[in-house]
Amino acid sequence: MGRDYHTIRLRRRPWWAWLLAALWLLLMVAGVQTAVASGCESEYRAAAVSWVLVAALLLVGGVAWWQAGRAA
Amino acid sequence: MDRKNKRVSRRGLLKTAGAAAGGVPLAVPALVTGPEPAGRNIHQRPWWVRTVERPTLGETNSDFQRFGGASIFALYRDLKVQREGEAALKAERAANRRHTAEWIRQKKPGFGLRDRQLMEAGWTVMRSARPGEGLLAWTRVRVQTPAELGVDRYAASPQEMANTVKAAARFYGAGAAGIAPMNEKYVNLRQGGKDIVFEDVDAPAVGEQKFVIPRKMKWVVAIAVPMDLDLIRRAPTALGEGATTLGYSQCAFVVGTLAEFIRGLGYQAIPSVNDTAQSVPFAVDAGLGEMSRLNRLITPAFGPAVRLCKVFTDMPMACDKPVDFGVVEFCKRCKKCAEECPSGALSFDDEPSFRVRGPWNNPGHKAWYEDSYRCFQHWQEVTTDCGICFAVCPYTKAAKAWVHRFVKAAASVAPPADRFFRAMDNVFGYGRQHAPEKWWSEDQPPFGLDSEQVRGG
Repeated sequence: MGRDYHTIRLRRRPWWAWLLAALWLLLMVAGVQTAVASGCESEYRAAAVSWVLVAALLLVGGVAWWQAGRAA
Repeated sequence: MDRKNKRVSRRGLLKTAGAAAGGVPLAVPALVTGPEPAGRNIHQRPWWVRTVERPTLGETNSDFQRFGGASIFALYRDLKVQREGEAALKAERAANRRHTAEWIRQKKPGFGLRDRQLMEAGWTVMRSARPGEGLLAWTRVRVQTPAELGVDRYAASPQEMANTVKAAARFYGAGAAGIAPMNEKYVNLRQGGKDIVFEDVDAPAVGEQKFVIPRKMKWVVAIAVPMDLDLIRRAPTALGEGATTLGYSQCAFVVGTLAEFIRGLGYQAIPSVNDTAQSVPFAVDAGLGEMSRLNRLITPAFGPAVRLCKVFTDMPMACDKPVDFGVVEFCKRCKKCAEECPSGALSFDDEPSFRVRGPWNNPGHKAWYEDSYRCFQHWQEVTTDCGICFAVCPYTKAAKAWVHRFVKAAASVAPPADRFFRAMDNVFGYGRQHAPEKWWSEDQPPFGLDSEQVRGG
């Protein structure tokens, strides 16, 4: 007979993980703002470089999230 | 505390928190734009711009004297004849005229008829004024004096007087204004074939033989007028030069109207653009910016992309102090302007020195002196002024992207990061020429100025 309940395990993240997440978010916001504003300033290469950095940062964040999930 | 009171207390807490959160957007502007306490300088700069007792660059020695006042154009002409002969000068001028016409006919981007005439017409206001005449009159033009109105002249604390003049300067179009003490050594010896002298008289005068500045004029309102960044990015073209010509006309307008305002308050005022005295040292003393490798001023908000002008007055005002926001240290490591200068006119020296490069430099102060002869020779080749050094300077940035403010602040407090910022400036492609022809189809703000940037000036 199967169990009629689920067990939810809440894993406490270390303080530095929150710090890294906050830093990542800050860099993402700054990157997107720079990309958009550079476009408005007609600095198209700066905008392109900023979008590439944002994409790279998004990828790094995604991989880190996935790795952290697997480790848990 | 009973249970009911506890519940009320919790609700009260939530209400307080909600009110606080809702009040933040209201409270913050109130803090920023609230009434000015008496005695406070209204020209507040970003936190990373420090005031200092002495300028970061410009140390003088015993050789430092009043500049002769010879026009740089006249000096170039004389040197050209001296070095290469009269025929070379004539050939250069003929080539200039020929290229101008050819490029108009060929519709060369940035050098077409509309580009050139936009630039030429930009001079209109400036060319209608001469030192001592018109907008640059040394005495009252039309404004009624307090005596004519039957009232006392304006009087307040020195700081309030300074704030009043700075507010008026911004109103007339200054990007930044500061007050410096008069320094007679910054005033030219001659202009227009006349001497410029200081005398113990009540009012300025323009005579047959001399310009007379009253000794009681002990204050100088130094003004920076921001240039159109979108045009500077098109340098070196006729279109790009429009930023310069319009800048000069705006300067004439600002100092002319400000001088009339000061006269209307009951004081004497002499407006000046590039005439009469050196604008840069007054601007440095007034805290508008720092001297740089360009041998020009770099301001926190507009970088080097400003035209400078000033008003001499006997209106007592609180003086500002020079500023330091890391420009000299940045220039030591950057050298982008010197590398990009097509004529090799800018110094590659690591440190500024007292070594002048020619008679166009006023000796006796430490600087990165430029070779104006080479610079002007290049102007003849491109048929307009150049401005590449202004365009490529990492401090020449619009204000929309937050990252620029971050970099300026970081360069101010952490000079070891300067080389990294310089490298990133190249990676992000700043300083590259923008397509001139596109300017005509872009939606331009008035005077090409980003309002966020002007507010931060």
